[in-house]
Amino acid sequence: MSVFGGVFRQSSARLFSTVLLLSHAGTCARTRMHAVPKLRELDRWTEKRGVFGVYDNIGILGDFKAHPKDLIRGPVWLRGFSGNELQRLIRKKRMVGGRMLTEDKHSLDKRISFLYRRFNRYGKHR
Amino acid sequence: MDFSPQFISSVSGESALPSNLRLPPNLIGVAPQKRASPSGSDLPVLRRCEADIPAHLAPAQTWLESLGSRDSEPLGVVDLHPDVFSVPLRLDILHAVEVWQRNFKRISHAKVKSRAEVSGGGRKPWNQKGSGRARHGSIRSPLWRGGGVAHGPRGPSSYYYMLPMKVRVQGLKIALTAKLAQDYLHIVDSLEIPTPDPHYLLDLVKHRQWGDSILIVDVGDEFPQNILKATEDMKTVNIIPAIGLNVHSMLKHESLVLTLEAVKFLEKKLLWHDVRYVPLYPFKLPYSDLP
Repeated sequence: MSVFGGVFRQSSARLFSTVLLLSHAGTCARTRMHAVPKLRELDRWTEKRGVFGVYDNIGILGDFKAHPKDLIRGPVWLRGFSGNELQRLIRKKRMVGGRMLTEDKHSLDKRISFLYRRFNRYGKHR
Repeated sequence: MDFSPQFISSVSGESALPSNLRLPPNLIGVAPQKRASPSGSDLPVLRRCEADIPAHLAPAQTWLESLGSRDSEPLGVVDLHPDVFSVPLRLDILHAVEVWQRNFKRISHAKVKSRAEVSGGGRKPWNQKGSGRARHGSIRSPLWRGGGVAHGPRGPSSYYYMLPMKVRVQGLKIALTAKLAQDYLHIVDSLEIPTPDPHYLLDLVKHRQWGDSILIVDVGDEFPQNILKATEDMKTVNIIPAIGLNVHSMLKHESLVLTLEAVKFLEKKLLWHDVRYVPLYPFKLPYSDLP
């Protein structure tokens, strides 16, 4: 039984492969066209999008009285600064740590010690 | 803006579109008719470049127009410095400056709690051995449902970086050159318009085939009241001071309109970087020879 089953499976596989070769003329991917989601309609000319980027060259065109990093709106410890997570957290602790809530401060301290140990004690890069 | 494409019918005597023609709404119309080049015209050269032009280069020339009335002819020809308006078109620099403008201001506030920050999870849920279940130390480890995320986004992070100053300056020059080369740059003597009506501006822009979106640039804090009122509610026509000029806005708006003072200001600011010394300390601190 198993021998016959094997023989049949082999012959059917060969048949199927020949049939596939003869009739295969397109891609195998079947895209369900009725389920393709529509692109969301965006207004490319809102107030924000229309004047995006204005004053980015305020340094070179404006006598260097201001710097483009003064335009950045965000947390104080991140304006005009970029770094990895440990550097950001240390900077946050120095600049804002005095006025943080106790639980947030505790999580910050824990995270700083964890990252310090991870970067400086384990792994290939220490 | 609707463009009516011109079709040449093979049937003699008919020049209109066929009656059964249906045009798709996003059809791009015919390209605007090319204007005559100002080099072979009789109109006088109304503005020469203040800075010295290198001997092997010739100034770029373009028409000086007026916004006073819809059908006014060009007033004259204007010389533009070749080291600002005819630089080699380095698209890679343009791309780099555009990407910088998009990203240096970006602050991503994505943050997820790690296993230490999720509430709970201090106690070992069951004994290490004997219960038959897998061994665990806390119910908030990343393996658990409701547990913390192991390597998720952490805290507000910034994507700030600065390109070298000369690269940003070159990006501006290349953008101006590209606008001039593609006929999208228009020089205007002043921004005085007769009425504060936005329809007047729209009509003028459509008649002169300036494009869908216009960026108007002038020097100084004060602009004429009429043009301010006209552009107030218009989304695609924007007016900015010359200090606010940047590559992203120039690429976003189809057409750029500069006043003569704006051209003078830009040439002065952008040409200085070709002849300056390397800064010993940031330029915002006082130098004896810088104004």
